[in-house]
Amino acid sequence: MIAAAPPSPPPPAATSPAISAALTETTVRVNSDFRGDRIVLYGAVFDPANRPSDVVVIVRGPDEPVRIAKKTRVAGVWVNSRPVVFQGAPGFYIAASTRPLDEIARFGELRRLQAGVDHLKFNAPDEQRVETRYGVRDVVVSRLGADYLDWKNAVVRLKAGEGLYAVDERGVRFVDRGLFRAEIALPAEAPIGRYEARILLFQNGHPVSEKDRTLTVEQVGVERALYLWAHRRPWSYGLAAMAFALGAGWAASTAFRRD
Amino acid sequence: MDIYLPIAEVSVNAPLLVALGALVGFISGLFGIGGGFLMTPILVFFGIPPAVAVASMSNHVAASSMSSVISYGRRRAVDFRMGGVLAAGGVVGAVAGVEIFRWLRLLGQADLVVALSYLVFLGVIGGLMLWESAGAIVRRRRNAPPKPRRDRRPPWLYGLPLKMRFPASRLYISPIPPILLGAFVGVLSAIMGVGGGFVLVPAMVYILRMPAGVVVGTSLFQIIITTALTGVLQAGRNQTVDVVLATLLLVGGVLGAQFGARASSRFRAEELRALLALIVLLVGLRMGLGLFFTPKEAFVLMSGAGG
Repeated sequence: MIAAAPPSPPPPAATSPAISAALTETTVRVNSDFRGDRIVLYGAVFDPANRPSDVVVIVRGPDEPVRIAKKTRVAGVWVNSRPVVFQGAPGFYIAASTRPLDEIARFGELRRLQAGVDHLKFNAPDEQRVETRYGVRDVVVSRLGADYLDWKNAVVRLKAGEGLYAVDERGVRFVDRGLFRAEIALPAEAPIGRYEARILLFQNGHPVSEKDRTLTVEQVGVERALYLWAHRRPWSYGLAAMAFALGAGWAASTAFRRD
Repeated sequence: MDIYLPIAEVSVNAPLLVALGALVGFISGLFGIGGGFLMTPILVFFGIPPAVAVASMSNHVAASSMSSVISYGRRRAVDFRMGGVLAAGGVVGAVAGVEIFRWLRLLGQADLVVALSYLVFLGVIGGLMLWESAGAIVRRRRNAPPKPRRDRRPPWLYGLPLKMRFPASRLYISPIPPILLGAFVGVLSAIMGVGGGFVLVPAMVYILRMPAGVVVGTSLFQIIITTALTGVLQAGRNQTVDVVLATLLLVGGVLGAQFGARASSRFRAEELRALLALIVLLVGLRMGLGLFFTPKEAFVLMSGAGG
């Protein structure tokens, strides 16, 4: 993989293609009327040889542990199993590309780059143990056994259902020769934190150039103040919130008094 | 008009929530219940994480109970002494309940226990109340004399030691049954996100044999103390109280509760009880029956540390 030097112009040597990209906004502000946002990304492909190019944009939100349980029937009632904790799953993930990912690169390449929701790498360390099997040492075995993939796929399916994991096969479009545009939809449920946008240029099934950009989703104004207060000084927050509630109840009854 | 909730981290329709708060507040003032057993399921249905819904409800219930208890207090319909004894038990129950809820969430069984509690408590209480109040209505229609109350002084209630006088309720009983009742309601308050009025009101009528006139006001008074404590504990221990959510609900809630408390004097007591019984029964069945149907999705995500 050839990394392009950051100050792009003049374009690199004739034989090495390069990609460059920028987010139109690097901070998403979450305030009281936040209902999700659309992040627009522009970029350019520099390739004097004009080889056929594909662009893949992967945006990952901050990793957060996922607790998932399976419903099982016990005495006629559906109950949750013991929850399983998966580590390393992104809180938000979208892979946008110019064509379906499996047409752009092979399985192994996509898996290595974690391109596409099926290729996300995360696991349940608490369920794993290392043992020796058939004389092979250090084999990682999951206590979930053969169902392990079902559990992992369920995480992806449920997150996709909430709009947090997505694949957009036509999310990147070339708007002019070498110039592309991508639009990423960020739902209101998207977690707060630092997002990594990785922009990859594929030629002939291989990534030939990449750029990383960061995006910050942060709460601003009253929302931020309340969030911080509730998490840093929970007891004073709780007391104040309750005092406010009782005061409001008292005020309403006084206002409505008919004498 | 949507508004983003900072703790729940979801965006909700603000006018809709205010209207729901007002409706539940009206029911709350009318029947002398907190209304939490209606509101918590509605919030979960709107996509608010259950842990946040249960915790934020405490603030809402405390506010609407505060609003109506003052109206009842002016009419001398609150037995503050009995309320204080109930609340003493409620405090112990609430502390235990918040810890139990925390433990259930870690086990991933909070959903199950909440649904089962709704089914069992609402189902049984709604069913009993409906049976009793329907009987009272039928007897009144036929102009039959009211059923003579059986033993006014059950020995297990009057035989206990440490008797106290409750002048407003015209009772001279041991504080042990009210304390136990209060503790039980405190646990429910933390686990189900309810004030517990639907348990307290019938228990005060049928077990403690309190006069109907002071039951509702006293129940609200005890609910304020228990839910105020639950709300602070949930915020401090679990960081799940969303003050924006609670405020939206209570704006409608306190206003609705005023109209409800006023409207309550226009209805006959047994008709009110029959209506409340129907609502309680329906909510209980709606929440609990889901446990018996095969779920469409076999897996369930549990938000953050909870579920």
